[in-house]
Order: sequence, then structure tokens, then C-alpha cells
Amino acid sequence: MLFDGVWFRYARRAPWALHDARATVSPGETVVVLGPNGAGKSTLLQLAAGVLLPSRGAIRDRPPIVGWVPERFPADQPFTLRGYLHAMAALRGVTPATADHWIERLGLAAHTGTGLGALSKGTAQKVGLAQALLVPPGLLVLDEPWEGLDAQARTLIPEIVAEVTGAGGAVLVSDHRGEITGLPGAIHWSVAAATLHVAGTVAAQVTPAPPRSSTADKEMVRAGADEVVVEIAVPRAEADATVVRLRDSGHHVLRVRDHAAPARPEREAR
Amino acid sequence: MIALVRMRLAGFLRGGRALAPLIAVLVVLGVLYGGGASPAGAAYGYSAAALFPVLAWLAKVLLDTEPDVQRRLVRLAVGPVREGVAGLLAAVLAGAVVCAAAMLAPWLFHGIRGPEAGSGESSIGAGVLLGVQAHLLSLIAAVALGALSGRAVTRRVLPGVATLITGSILVIVLGLSSSIVPWLVPPVMAMARALNSGVSPAASTLAQLTAWALAWSAVALAAYGTLRRNRS
Repeated sequence: MLFDGVWFRYARRAPWALHDARATVSPGETVVVLGPNGAGKSTLLQLAAGVLLPSRGAIRDRPPIVGWVPERFPADQPFTLRGYLHAMAALRGVTPATADHWIERLGLAAHTGTGLGALSKGTAQKVGLAQALLVPPGLLVLDEPWEGLDAQARTLIPEIVAEVTGAGGAVLVSDHRGEITGLPGAIHWSVAAATLHVAGTVAAQVTPAPPRSSTADKEMVRAGADEVVVEIAVPRAEADATVVRLRDSGHHVLRVRDHAAPARPEREAR
Repeated sequence: MIALVRMRLAGFLRGGRALAPLIAVLVVLGVLYGGGASPAGAAYGYSAAALFPVLAWLAKVLLDTEPDVQRRLVRLAVGPVREGVAGLLAAVLAGAVVCAAAMLAPWLFHGIRGPEAGSGESSIGAGVLLGVQAHLLSLIAAVALGALSGRAVTRRVLPGVATLITGSILVIVLGLSSSIVPWLVPPVMAMARALNSGVSPAASTLAQLTAWALAWSAVALAAYGTLRRNRS
């Protein structure tokens, strides 16, 4: 899938929400889109999914089946959880059993009779996830999928991402909290001030060929033996900006954690 | 497609937003049939015209029931064309139920009488058929106007309400017999006038009104399709 000079604004004369984004996503790839709130991550993701149409430029070769998990699930609908997922399964042309499979898998079985409006944020988020997976997607777009999920459900996301990429699908994930280390092998893009940066380069300056992916990542892996881990502490509010800044200047951000959490064993071993 | 029509009708009925337009239907019917009885064609002609704004409102409310994000999810699931067509179909079905109720109502209020001997008025059966035709043409045009004033097209609330109200008023004002540009609006007023006497209008008049209503609706629906193509 190719972002071919994509520009977007929400209304005529409105400021550009995204300008001249150029990048490619290949089948089987996972792309993590980072950036502070309001930078244009969600816009980029909705353009990728085909929910928004570019004001200029185009997105080419999008896989036919797209699963989109919106940032906020539209819970203001008079359906029960099961009724909703069964209806969405009918729209996708699959059996209700497929919906039941995801209800089971995502741990929603206890809420099947609950109205969508009465669900907790995390549970509603899982309904959003379930509807996107009813048919194995060629492109899965996850907008802040970790929001509101409990620790147990968080591990589900990398699992599902791995399944989709394993089946040849591409995955785009946005993330402003730096949970990225949960997705091994992911390519990182960052969006800041309505501009897409691919691996620290201003995207507009690079050709549409895979900009960072292969070479940069391989260098990183090769350099792995010589790397040291520098732990820094920043105010919570500045965490996003710091991650973006560090990545832009070529550093490999391993993860973001709460201060109190113990370091992971393999990192300590280094 | 059928699954989506069913889902949208279910959301519309369960959500409770149907209530306001349905109360308006009752008011319109009450006003129409509160007086004396008239021939079937005349009664139904006025009923179709008076229901036009309400049917347009009903269509707008039905199409606006679904949250924007859900509409986009549906668009991804079934594609933009089927998403759009299923919305229009759901609106036509809901409107058809209202029209059927409106056509049954005068029988409860004794609002319809048979033809007077020697007046040349058409029979009750012929009047009912003309009424069905008038209601259908009004309904299709009303759904087109309601769709054009829906949030999916206008994005914000105010322009949508303005489109709906302006459109409904223009249908009446430009539909008056003295209008200089009657073809700008669907012929619901012209239809009511043609049926007013209780005598069946000439076949050519009916054909002309039908073609006019369908052509207007086709243009409005094409505009809807074009506008929706750029706005998910």
C-alpha cells in the first residue's frame, strides 16, 4: 500500500491536518504511528483505512478487506453487544458463529446481553476490535487500541497483530504512550505538526520506496550487541514528545514504563 | 444489503428518535381529516402533499440515527454504494409504513365519501389508486430531500435543518399554481391540485406529473450520491 503525496484537511480553508505524506506499507508489516495528541495520527490512520478521502494525492493498492478499530467505539447505539456483532457479521457476510468466536476470544461472553451504551470503555473498545476482525483483514488499522484495556487484554493486541501479519496482512497502529515494545519488528513512523516522518526523516524528502524499514532496522539489530540501555525519567506529560524526539534523532526507544515497575530481566542482563 | 437495511431500521425504531416525526404525522392527519368527508382522490392528494415535509424529516432522522463512526464502519464493511443505497431503502420503507397508515386513517375518521351521483367523480377504488400513486411520488421525493439534509451530507446540524426546512417551504411556495419556476421542486402541490376535484385527471396529466416527480427525485438522489462520494 502506497501513500502517494497525501494531503488532507477537514474543510476548505481549514489548516492542513496532514501534508504530503509519502510512505509504503508492505504485506506482513506492522507500522506503529507515534506522535503527540492532535498531531494527525488519527487522521493518517483514517486515511489509510479509507474512512477519510485525501484532499490531494492518493492511497494506492489498499487491500480489499480493511478492518478499522476507531479511537472511540460508537457506543451510542440501541443494540446489545451480541446483537451488534451479529449484525456486523451479517454485513460482512459471515455467520453469527464468527462473531461468537470473537466474543469468546476477547473475553466478552459475560456482556453479550448488555447494551452497547452500558459497556465500560475497555469493553466497548474490544467490541470495536471484534467487528474489525470478523473477516481476516488485509489491512488492520488500530487507533490507540490500548486505551482503556486492562493488563490481560493488552497482551491480546500483539497476539492479534501477529496473526494478521502472519496471514499476510498489514497492520497500522497508533500509540501515544509508547507501548510499542509489545510489537516486535514493528516499523515506526511519527507524526508531528501534520507531517509524517518515517524513521526520523521528513517523509516528504524521501522517495516512496520503503523508507526506513529494512536497512535501518537491520542496522539496529546488528548494532544490538554494542548497544547500552540508558534509562531516563521524564515528566509523564512530556513522555510522548520525548519518545518522538529521541526516535527522530536516531535512538532506539525500547519502552516506556511507570517509574515503579521493575526493569525486564533481559534488559538487566545487558 | 438487507442486513444493513434491517440493522438501520432496528436502530431507528429502538432509539426512540422516531417519536417526534410520528407525532407530526398524527397532527397532520388530525388536521386533514378533522373536517368533513371528501372524495378519496382529493383527500389522498392533500394527504400526500401535507405529509411531504414530515416524510422528509423522518428520512433525515432515520439517516442521522447512526453515529458517524458507525456509518464509516459500515462503509468499510459493505462498500460506499451499498451503504448509501441501504440508507435510502430503509428511509423509503419507514416512510411507506407512514404512508400506509395515512391512507388507512381517513377510514377511521370517516374522512372519505363515495362519488356523488352525476358529479363525474371517480369511484373510491380509482381514488385509492390515485392516492397510492400520489403518496409514492411524494415519498420518493421526500426521501431524496431528507437524504440531502442528512448529517452525512451537511456534516453539521444547522445546515441540515436549514436544508430540510428551506426545501419543504419551497416545495409549497414554488408549487403554488402561480409559481414561475414550478419545475424546481417536486410536483406534490400540482398533484394535490390535479386530484382536488375528485374527478380523475387525464392520463396524460398523470403521466406528466409522474415523470416530473421521478425526474426531480433522480436529480436529487444523483446529487446525494455525488456529495456522499466525497464525504464519508
